[in-house]
Amino acid sequence: MSTIRLKGGRVYDPANGVDGETRDIGMRDGRIVALHPQEEVDHEYDVSGCVVMAGGIDLHTHIGGGKVNLARMMLPEDHRANRARDPLLELASNGCCTPGTLETGYRYAQMGYTAAFEPAMLAANARHAHMEMGDTPILDHGAYVMLGNEELFLEMLARGEDFERIRDYVGWSIDASKAMGVKVVNPGGISAFKFNQRKLDVDENHVHWQVTPRHVVHTLARALTELGVPHPLHIHASNLGVAGNIESTLATIDALDGLPGHLTHIQFHSYGKEGPKKFSSAARQLIEKVKAAPNVSIDVGQIIFGQTVTASGDTMRQFANADLGSPRKYVGGDIECDAGCGVVPFRYREQSYVNALQWAIGLEIFLLMDDPWRVVLTTDHPNGGPFTSYPHLIRLLMDKSFRDEQLARLHPDVAASVDLREIGRELSLYDIAIMTRAAPARLLGLADRGQLGVGAAADIAVYREDADREAMFATPEYVFKDGRLVARQGRLEAVPVGGTHFLETEFDPGIEKTIEQYAQRHLSVSYRNAKIGKDELCSCANGGALLACKVHGGRGGK
Amino acid sequence: MNAPTQTQNPDPSGSIGQDWTCPFCSLLCDGFRVESQQGGLKLVGSDCSKAVQGLASFGPVPAAPSATVDGREVSPDTALDAAAERLAASRMPLFGGLATDVGGMRQLVRLANQRGAILDHARGDTLMPVLRTLQDRGQMFSTLAEIRNRADLVVCIGTDAASNFPEFFRRCAPVDEAAFARRTVFVGASAPAGLQGEVDEVALQGDLFDAVAMLAALVDGRRLPAPDAALERLAQAMRASTYCVVVFEPGRLPAQGALITEAVLRIVMSLNRKTRAGAFMLGGADGLQTANAVTTWMSGLPLRSRVGPLGLDHDPLQYATDRLLEEEAVDLLLWVASLGPKPVPPATVLPRIVLGHPALAADCAAAGTVFIPVATPGINADGHLFRADGVVTLPLRALRDDGLPTVADIANALQARLALRRLATEGTP
Repeated sequence: MSTIRLKGGRVYDPANGVDGETRDIGMRDGRIVALHPQEEVDHEYDVSGCVVMAGGIDLHTHIGGGKVNLARMMLPEDHRANRARDPLLELASNGCCTPGTLETGYRYAQMGYTAAFEPAMLAANARHAHMEMGDTPILDHGAYVMLGNEELFLEMLARGEDFERIRDYVGWSIDASKAMGVKVVNPGGISAFKFNQRKLDVDENHVHWQVTPRHVVHTLARALTELGVPHPLHIHASNLGVAGNIESTLATIDALDGLPGHLTHIQFHSYGKEGPKKFSSAARQLIEKVKAAPNVSIDVGQIIFGQTVTASGDTMRQFANADLGSPRKYVGGDIECDAGCGVVPFRYREQSYVNALQWAIGLEIFLLMDDPWRVVLTTDHPNGGPFTSYPHLIRLLMDKSFRDEQLARLHPDVAASVDLREIGRELSLYDIAIMTRAAPARLLGLADRGQLGVGAAADIAVYREDADREAMFATPEYVFKDGRLVARQGRLEAVPVGGTHFLETEFDPGIEKTIEQYAQRHLSVSYRNAKIGKDELCSCANGGALLACKVHGGRGGK
Repeated sequence: MNAPTQTQNPDPSGSIGQDWTCPFCSLLCDGFRVESQQGGLKLVGSDCSKAVQGLASFGPVPAAPSATVDGREVSPDTALDAAAERLAASRMPLFGGLATDVGGMRQLVRLANQRGAILDHARGDTLMPVLRTLQDRGQMFSTLAEIRNRADLVVCIGTDAASNFPEFFRRCAPVDEAAFARRTVFVGASAPAGLQGEVDEVALQGDLFDAVAMLAALVDGRRLPAPDAALERLAQAMRASTYCVVVFEPGRLPAQGALITEAVLRIVMSLNRKTRAGAFMLGGADGLQTANAVTTWMSGLPLRSRVGPLGLDHDPLQYATDRLLEEEAVDLLLWVASLGPKPVPPATVLPRIVLGHPALAADCAAAGTVFIPVATPGINADGHLFRADGVVTLPLRALRDDGLPTVADIANALQARLALRRLATEGTP
């Protein structure tokens, strides 16, 4: 492979403490290398006047799997427009909030992103998720398997099974589904909804299994720590979208009891019930708590005004919101004693009091949090808005006057009263590089991604400096994936197959007996088919690289 | 042509399919074995008529059957050249049948992109009412394991379920230690023999449309001037059940079946206001779920879409195989039937390329047809298929090697030939 030099760019590489220094970056064989200034290279790109960052990493984006595909099918209206495309490199694929997998890969890469992680992979649907991600070109990908609502897990908790056995089960589940982490969604609540329970607070019992979300969260977090899983338990907390849910969010953080946890789309979980509409921002309460809890990281799930669709495993909350759908349609499913899915199309409106406040709460969280290493930039694509709105979101965070212009368009009661008005902070390029690259890489345990140090993978985005940060981040000058130029000024240059990140866990294989017996008694698929082997993963993932990460357990984790 | 992915030739007799997944209906049963007997394949552990019949179409391992062009036996390369030539000459091809696995469909979508082809499945007519309802109102579904563990009431609308899905009731039979008793009610259909638990039938007073409309109104608690007493009792039972599953079979719905699937959705949504319920669709035969899922995820739109350099165009009514062929709105048919000797390619005056089970050779001997025999996932090739619920995807493993290429192999080879032709004529790949 050829040697490439990016000459004279301003480099933002927070993982290595580089904050806007002008320096050259060398690449060879897909890796970043140190090049002598006189060394001859095959390609030299003059990137003076440009900002150089590692490729973007989205650690929470619904890009593949059953519910995403149902959302596509139910929204043909999202696919009417066909944008101009390169007929040689791009296959027909479109959609804005429910893009086809091909379109997803093209658009992320054109925006300077080189990796994306599906946060809600059902074990029962894992092959399908890996297939869709395998058909998402250019991007490396991985997924978190959803645990904490399977009847087997809840049954083990309910009968007081030894923790070690449960830890083995979690390790087995990660291995069987070829996951990169574990997500818990409305802990116990998806299962409780199957037993017709409509609400489940953190210390409330599941109506059938008599276990609490607190118990579920703590057990899973402990299991991941002991298995040595790098990504903290990915938590979609209880009571999503409910006014006053800050109480359950704070209780969920307490449930971690100091163990690592990542609270996802936290905006949807930071609501108070003050004010005339009994719906208010609890961003300050949240941030106070998170600042004091160094074991906790968050991503925001910012909402963006316009049409989108919400797709979630949280059937309990999605069904409760089905009547708010716009257009009014609903897909929901109870799935294989494993989990569920609910899809509600949604239109966020500036003139809606609730939506306007949600928008402000998201931005407040970004701007009030003092440690960017623990805040990741997401819209929970597509639930808060499509990932293509990231450049707009970056401008909102970096440009106070632009933010004020948007604020002025909101529902007048919100525009006149929110805390956001008073927050003058503008994020720097260094902050953005942390929130979109360095922090997600660190939180996922990707040592050689999200950074530009020698030896790291040559996933690089080069943006031409522009005071309009939205324009700047929408169309990078160059994007490299593993040292290969994949996009130039918004046009694709190459469409390689991405790789799959997954964990190889250690567990006592004796647990397979329990799982086999359970499958025979209760499930509809042979236990042997519940496991995805490496060769099968390779075929599901379209022959992309298998980026295995071995993790080693032991008490207290790594 | 690439060699297909296959396992070793097994012993002439004995058990060869410990981990066998049956490809012959969309329930994808993975609990049975297959034994090799006198060169044929014998099902062990079930008498499922679909599986028995499916296996019977794979006799003793044949010498690799020949490809044909206009009825003449030709080498594989000659057949591929002829197919590529006809595809290249086509301005509006239709890719129909689409009875294939995930790998085959992935490559067919790519091939379709090269030629701006329309994609429809042999059972597209049964998909569209369901899709229409999904696009207009949504869906609320359950899956086999949920039915097994929860459903105290199963209501089959217009189907006995067992005729076309012989293993359905066994697959979702209550677990041994179930805390509930199962009751199964058939509306407008006869109960199959030997069903466990309480079984009832509700005869139709009018047609199926009337029955589901009335049932939906009754479940909703509306007062009707002259309600059918049996439906009224059923509605009450549904509202009193803890988890009611409404089963329907898209392949058996009458014309305008979307009205029935919509009513089923209304019933289920309405029940879920107070108790729990879900619908279960017995559809997806011949790889329909698979073809639709792959097309949707790659492009963003479901079947009956055209994919190509100009982007996507989805038309559930216009892009129906029968209509396109009848009106000669397309100029070539590429038909895929790799899961068995059916679906048979429709007769047409248009040129045809058929990638099919070897037994289709006889239907493809006419002039104007290129026939390329292909392997069947789960028999003589590995692969993946989607189950009826659209959620679970299962691996299929080859039982033996018949020396046949897969659909993916052929679609790949055709893509390469088309790219070369383009390179030669336009200077771009």
